[in-house]
Amino acid sequence: MSAQAPPARYRVAARAAETHDTVTLRLEPVDEPIAPHRPGQFTMLYAFGVGEVPISISGGPAGPGLIQTIRSVGAVTRALCEAGEGEIIGVRGPYGTDWGVAGAAGQDVLVVAGGIGLAPLRPALLAALAARERYRRVTVLIGARTPQELVFAEEIAAWRDRGAEVQVTVDRAAVGWHGHVGVVTQLIGRAGVDPPATLALVCGPEVMMRLTARALADLGIAPGRIRVSLERNMRCGTAECGHCQLGPLLLCRDGPVVSYEQAAPLLSVKEL
Amino acid sequence: MNAAGLPGFADHAFLRGIPAGSVARLAATATAVSFPAGRRLFEEGAPARKCWLLTSGQVALFLHAPGAEDLIVETLCCDDVIGFSWLAPPHEWQFSAATVTATEAFELDGTAVMALCDRDRDLGYQLAQRFLAAAVRRLHATRIRLLDLYGTPRARAGT
Repeated sequence: MSAQAPPARYRVAARAAETHDTVTLRLEPVDEPIAPHRPGQFTMLYAFGVGEVPISISGGPAGPGLIQTIRSVGAVTRALCEAGEGEIIGVRGPYGTDWGVAGAAGQDVLVVAGGIGLAPLRPALLAALAARERYRRVTVLIGARTPQELVFAEEIAAWRDRGAEVQVTVDRAAVGWHGHVGVVTQLIGRAGVDPPATLALVCGPEVMMRLTARALADLGIAPGRIRVSLERNMRCGTAECGHCQLGPLLLCRDGPVVSYEQAAPLLSVKEL
Repeated sequence: MNAAGLPGFADHAFLRGIPAGSVARLAATATAVSFPAGRRLFEEGAPARKCWLLTSGQVALFLHAPGAEDLIVETLCCDDVIGFSWLAPPHEWQFSAATVTATEAFELDGTAVMALCDRDRDLGYQLAQRFLAAAVRRLHATRIRLLDLYGTPRARAGT
């Protein structure tokens, strides 16, 4: 697909508010749907008349529809978050690399999410739970600002029922909260990780990913088995415009999911 | 009471690496305790004379906020130590603590531990190292939380 390919038209079939500033949209194709996606990939979503932004796909690959979770942080994302049922949105993609969760068959899958970083990890988690017998432990560690700002909160019980071990920690909470209070890296040491047999998938704010990946590497997980999802200013989605360059990587093509082995030397360079 | 009379004490992560003889003497200051969910361990402003080596369950450190709900500062669970205020003046609890779930721990008598460390300086050094390491870990975690990483990001052009 070239950068000049026009966006496919999708209709907002359902809209669910995750938090005060984050919305999950279910999109159904009006015309020919985009190609099937893999967990970890993203699309370019076009709010007509406003602009286009990269948004991770937060739903599984089944069916022609798309599930996308958007946080309102600027004009385009605000327009997407405010899109009501029936509204038409443009979609290009899917683009980029995937989490590679299928390659962890017979091993443990450790998902570490911070804030809205759970959205791009959700397809990988759903894929692992859909083939639960193929994996050993499936562990999910989630960090959020407050209990009210936890995305997909209503699904956590179902994930546990399907065989995932889920721990949630928040930065702030009032008495009555029964989860943890602290940073997500504090959960790692308590998760009973088996380093040689673990694939770790990490997504969240870049500082959180750096600290988490370092903590996982300190436990003994090989950097090549730690994957992080990096975001820069994706524009074309086809590695032509260069806006998403991070060192030698064009993240719309070489990412967003890259190994910590690749990412580690880049994440500490201030100029990048 | 020695370590043999306090099953699991010598194996607690906080004490790992301390010579067996010192651990046995420390065990004489400790008691195995169990608390139901919701039990207050200590209250902000009260004299601080104990600490706990948690073995299971979860404990919340919290702060009273006038006119508002109490705010949880941090939760601690298995293998953590809770209770630093007995170590330094003014020897008063700076926060309150209560169990979130049913919790088991080894409760140490701070006065007896201090007296023991005065006699057994090697043990005192070993314990000081461990309390410092726990404090440093919590300081790092607190600093990360101060960054408010999950707060609303600054809007960039085109987002």
